[in-house]
Amino acid sequence: MAEGNVIELKGVEKTFRDFWMRPVAEAVRWLDLEVARGDVFGLIGPNGSGKSTTIKMILGLIRPTKGTVRLFGLDPRAKAARARLGYLPELSHLHPFLTAEETVLYYAGLSGMRRAAARARMLELLEELKLAHVRRRTVGGFSKGMARRVAIAAALVSSPELLILDEPTSGLDPIGTREVKELIARLAAGGMTVLLTSHQLFDVQDVCNRVAVISEGRRVGGGVVADIVANAQDKRHALEEYFEARLNLGKGEA
Amino acid sequence: MRRFMAIARTAAIETMSQPLSAILFPVAVLAVHLLPAFQYHRFGAAGRLARETGLSSLFVFGLFFAVPAVVRVVGRELETGTAAAALALGVSRSLYFSARLAGTLAVFMLFFVAVAAATALSSFSCIKAATIFTGAGVVRVWGPAIAAGVAGALAPFAVAALLNRFARRRFCLWTCLLTVVLQLPGLALLEDAAPLRVMGSSFCAMAAACVVFVAMAGALATRLKPNGVTACVTAAVTAGFLMPVKFLAPDMRVFWLAEGETSAWRPLAAGAALAALWLLAGCISMERKELA
Repeated sequence: MAEGNVIELKGVEKTFRDFWMRPVAEAVRWLDLEVARGDVFGLIGPNGSGKSTTIKMILGLIRPTKGTVRLFGLDPRAKAARARLGYLPELSHLHPFLTAEETVLYYAGLSGMRRAAARARMLELLEELKLAHVRRRTVGGFSKGMARRVAIAAALVSSPELLILDEPTSGLDPIGTREVKELIARLAAGGMTVLLTSHQLFDVQDVCNRVAVISEGRRVGGGVVADIVANAQDKRHALEEYFEARLNLGKGEA
Repeated sequence: MRRFMAIARTAAIETMSQPLSAILFPVAVLAVHLLPAFQYHRFGAAGRLARETGLSSLFVFGLFFAVPAVVRVVGRELETGTAAAALALGVSRSLYFSARLAGTLAVFMLFFVAVAAATALSSFSCIKAATIFTGAGVVRVWGPAIAAGVAGALAPFAVAALLNRFARRRFCLWTCLLTVVLQLPGLALLEDAAPLRVMGSSFCAMAAACVVFVAMAGALATRLKPNGVTACVTAAVTAGFLMPVKFLAPDMRVFWLAEGETSAWRPLAAGAALAALWLLAGCISMERKELA
């Protein structure tokens, strides 16, 4: 594993099989990926392209059929590797009967944080995410956007070195989206490595410094966002333009 | 240990926050207090029918709330991705499964305490009534015991509602907790520990059988949908009553009929072994499961 890489995938493939072990779907095909320390890395692709499967392999929730996945140079299922990350799933299924503060404290407990430190961090995060006034309300009664912000607080509570965000702005209104983008930028400025997936290419262009385009389980493009923008005719829609071009190229190759 | 406690505590809160638990806790206790009075009137067996009612309530109501609860706290978490968010943080899968199961079983043990206390009081009430009243044709109960029991079963709703209104406490959770707590003062009416001693071994054996079925449901919930889990547990309970089951499930004829101060050790040991077997099965299943 190259020094400074937080995540490294080499020749990774994932085939889902049914009860009789017959292949059902080839979710990921020969994927190479490297995320360096301090990167804000965007994994972009259409629905069903294998982004979430890739993230789940990085998290050690599913095993690759072929290839190797390394997280901080370790097997992703190693406790030492996963203790250094925070994760926001695509859908925030929080415990509806817990309050916002109990939810964040629960995830702090899972990260092994001491109660006093967890409480101080929880208050700081809920304040930052504008949830302090509803911290004693059960999250079952929250709007989708508020629940999303609680889930983001839960992902950040242990001050992880690597933050994995699956569709972080899903369900958020434009103001909430802008606030999350600003938060990601602040975290990156503080040295945190961020890997995110999103369909909102404007958002990815705004916050990421590197991207990879995935289509039908294959990597069909990627690079430094600043280079992509520099080479584009329409700077505002640079990533969208690039994305469409790479997808068409990928289909042509297939 | 901190992680285990955090997960188990959340599972216990989740179990007690279900409306089904808030209904079944007081209803089971109420049934234990009220049914023997009517049964005694019909059949005239002081104390024994109260204990049989308590044993049946422990088994039936216990399974009714604990099996769906464990399916929810294990199976639903896996299905929705809530478990994935926890496991991604470095929590071991075996620890996660064990803690979720332990949280549900802790609530079941609270239920056990409530039903056992209610049964002791109800059984004592029947015996006391038999010594006071001799006539037939009218339902005879001993007033203080029935008053304490019924108040202990109904008051939790009112107190939990007030706590919810003025202190924002969870209604269902507090109904369950108060049902347990408010059964205990009634035990002060017992003149001696005889009712508790007589029923102790039978109740422990029955609780052990329930623990096995809950552990079985938890392990199966890592792989099957709720309907599949329910079908398997129902089949295991039925088999336990109909035939001499040796492995996987309790032989209910042995567990139900355990009596006396020493004969309950065998079902208790068998129950512990079977529960440990299902815990192990659940842990292995979790370790091998792909959380796609």
